[in-house]
Amino acid sequence: MAKAIHKLILLSGLLSLFHAAYSAAQHRSYLRITEQEFVSLPIDILTQGIVSLFITLYGVMNIAGDFKEIRATVDLENKSWETLRNIPSFYVFNHRGKALSPNYIPPSDEMD
Amino acid sequence: MAELLLDSQIRVWVFLPIVVITFLVGVVRHYVSILLASQKKVELQQVQDSQVMIRSHKLRENGKYIPKQSFLMRRHFFNNEETGYFKTQKRAAVSQNPMTDPSMMTDMLKGNVTNVLPMIMIGGWINWMFSGFVTTKVPFPLTLRFKPMLQRGIELVSLDAAWVSSASWYFLNVFGLRSIYTLVLGENNAADQTRHMQDQMSGAAMAMPPDPKAAFKAEWEALEICDHHWALTNIENDLMGLSAPTADSMYHQNKMD
Amino acid sequence: MAGRVKTKLDKSGEMLAYGEAAVRNNAAILEYCRTSMAALSGATAGLLGLTGFYGFGFYVFAVIGLWCLILFKAGAHWEKYFISRRALLTSGFFGGLFTYVLFWTFLYGMVHVY
Repeated sequence: MAKAIHKLILLSGLLSLFHAAYSAAQHRSYLRITEQEFVSLPIDILTQGIVSLFITLYGVMNIAGDFKEIRATVDLENKSWETLRNIPSFYVFNHRGKALSPNYIPPSDEMD
Repeated sequence: MAELLLDSQIRVWVFLPIVVITFLVGVVRHYVSILLASQKKVELQQVQDSQVMIRSHKLRENGKYIPKQSFLMRRHFFNNEETGYFKTQKRAAVSQNPMTDPSMMTDMLKGNVTNVLPMIMIGGWINWMFSGFVTTKVPFPLTLRFKPMLQRGIELVSLDAAWVSSASWYFLNVFGLRSIYTLVLGENNAADQTRHMQDQMSGAAMAMPPDPKAAFKAEWEALEICDHHWALTNIENDLMGLSAPTADSMYHQNKMD
Repeated sequence: MAGRVKTKLDKSGEMLAYGEAAVRNNAAILEYCRTSMAALSGATAGLLGLTGFYGFGFYVFAVIGLWCLILFKAGAHWEKYFISRRALLTSGFFGGLFTYVLFWTFLYGMVHVY
């Protein structure tokens, strides 16, 4: 749910940014037609641009994901002893347990 | 410098299409190279070799934690003159010529197809299709030195250096959209062709699989001169707290002194 | 598998341990934010019609703005998520600059040149 709101924020920020760009382009063409000199954009377009930039950044930042705790202890607190003592390098598969398998063929007894 | 007035049709039919085309070609190239990518087949022999190298390396690093006899036993396994692993395993020298290896050749061909070919084709097409337009102006002043870089295709001496021609705008896009690909396609994407170019230039030698014969010989030498320093001589006293451990020796591995 | 653990001695001589997976995750998020910031602020600078040093000043302004946003998001305990606060501000500064200039030029061309 929160994700959808942030997407909405991002979308509205982008739309607003686009609108500001369109207004600026219109302003420029108006100035050109009336042959006035360009000094700077009207203050409302300026504010709209900057404000919508920050709205969009806020949306992007929330969509990017949450930060994780970097302290190792926090990560390790949730792990049980069983997880930590599981060391694949020390697995041994050649043991008596294979005798329990239905496919197990006992080696021919040569002692008799 | 008088302000230049550009036809706004150029914006719609040249300026914008170049950006869109560059971007979309990058995306398409990403997916095409995913389609063409072949899984690198790993030889069993290679895995074995690298694991042996790792084991020998670990023995040299951490041999001080096992008793001297165990250390010598392991070293014997690797280094014995008659039966040692490094002595008995004979690896053929790796052929240095990629042309003799067919799989490497297809890889190279694929790399060229997905990277170099589109760049030449699209670049040539853009040069031909959109040639000779002044497209835009960089919003900051530049010195005349930048003129050949930014105004490729337009030879006008009197034009201010800040104006950008269509061909140069394409190249600016090719290099500038790199981080946007990372954003859109995720990390390690194939659209990032500048990285590929770097790979082709400098990484060719490093990408070759190391010659196992030479590596074995080096490892054999290193292991031969490696002495056993038993690190746990005083371990009983240490554990019983006769000499209090410092924070360093408690938490840091490989720091026994 | 538990991620590898990096240790570092901080100034007071206290041992700090960092989970490497979490550090990498945070770095990826930061990279994402930074690229977006460079592109978006470049677009804004272009549409505002900034030229010359004003444009580069705006980039610095946007970088600092993003820094504030990140610290705001991280909340009061930024130490929980980042190793250094200053590296948060300065790292990737010049990497984003190229993207910024491209988008700046793009939007400036779209809006103000024609």
